[in-house]
Amino acid sequence: MDRRSFVKGTLVAVPGAVVLQSAPAWAQSPGYGSDIDILNYALVAEYFLSEFYRRGKVQMSGKGARYIQSIGDDEDGHIAAITQTIQNLGGSPVQAPGLDYGKALTSQSTFLEFALRFENLFARAYLGAAPAIQNKEILQAAAGIYGVEERHAAIVAQLLGREPEGGVYVGAVNEPTDKATVLKAIEPYLKGAKAATSGAAVTL
Amino acid sequence: MAAGQLFDGEPVIEFSSDRDRRTFLKWAGIIGVGSTLTVLLRSGYVAAQTEDDDIDILNYVLTLEYLEADFYERGLGADRLSGRDLALVEPIGAHERAHVSLITSTVEKLGGTPVEQPSFNYPSGTFGSRDKFLQAAYTFEALGVTAYHGQVTNFQNGELLAAAATIAGTESRHAAILADLTGQNPFPRPLEKQASRNQVLQTAGKFIRG
Repeated sequence: MDRRSFVKGTLVAVPGAVVLQSAPAWAQSPGYGSDIDILNYALVAEYFLSEFYRRGKVQMSGKGARYIQSIGDDEDGHIAAITQTIQNLGGSPVQAPGLDYGKALTSQSTFLEFALRFENLFARAYLGAAPAIQNKEILQAAAGIYGVEERHAAIVAQLLGREPEGGVYVGAVNEPTDKATVLKAIEPYLKGAKAATSGAAVTL
Repeated sequence: MAAGQLFDGEPVIEFSSDRDRRTFLKWAGIIGVGSTLTVLLRSGYVAAQTEDDDIDILNYVLTLEYLEADFYERGLGADRLSGRDLALVEPIGAHERAHVSLITSTVEKLGGTPVEQPSFNYPSGTFGSRDKFLQAAYTFEALGVTAYHGQVTNFQNGELLAAAATIAGTESRHAAILADLTGQNPFPRPLEKQASRNQVLQTAGKFIRG
């Protein structure tokens, strides 16, 4: 997969010379590093989902196929936005990892269950990282992406006919998940050492 | 569809005290009522964005949550839904009530005074059918999502920021499901849209009874 094929435009208007202000008092969540590190962390998650939908959407038909196409397009849009933002900040975007989703692609139900699991996980990952983001424009964009991941999760659960509370919804508020938990969850699906060596920003 | 089209410009928010009403209007930086407010907003008047404190922002979103909670209580009370529709919408009403409690207690913990619940008036027919109720619900949820995203970065306190973000995420789920139920696109944009207080008031403010 050619990362650059995703870079079709800029969704986030981050000026080329963003001056990072000193961290606000609340931006002290440990383990997330700089804003560029957080963006690269998010980028791995977006690559993970984007590629999953690209390979698995053949499982769907009708309205479900249209929804999954839209969801996959959103993830591509997130990749483009995050990649561009990292570059605007003078950082190096991580490369797309090699991925093997195993049996998740074998049927419509395994496909949707896997999608639901990781949409939920990555939504919570954004919540976990949000307080560590120092630049307000990046925070705004990350929140905007986060909300869309919540939409994806709800609709995938709806396609699965899951129970409303505890399936389509996760209560009145969602819970954050820390970075270590997220990386551990995706690790079994990463192929080779490429992702691990692609940058110190995302340590697997 | 804008709420303005739905409700035909009739007032739906009636504040229980003049203080609460003034507070709500102050959020747009405008002290005024009814047509004056609308005219100012329509003419492109942009109030100076001040560094609002967190309590002020919380009271602003609390008013929107009151509106949503009340809306679902009445809508569900009208008994227009059944089956999967009903199963999906009932929890939304519960979430909005929980958001009201959460924000109220947060304002109190911060030493502030939560705004009291305004009374809301809905034009007849708002809950007249499944489609009307769900379409109105979709409009409110879409407004709520953009309202939260317009405030997320304004919070000074990181915990509040995270709490506001997760409430916004819940509203995103609601909006997506209501879009699905009403035959609309659950994924209109790759990033959630944001709306300033002025923009939200441009929709909600039309219905304030002065």
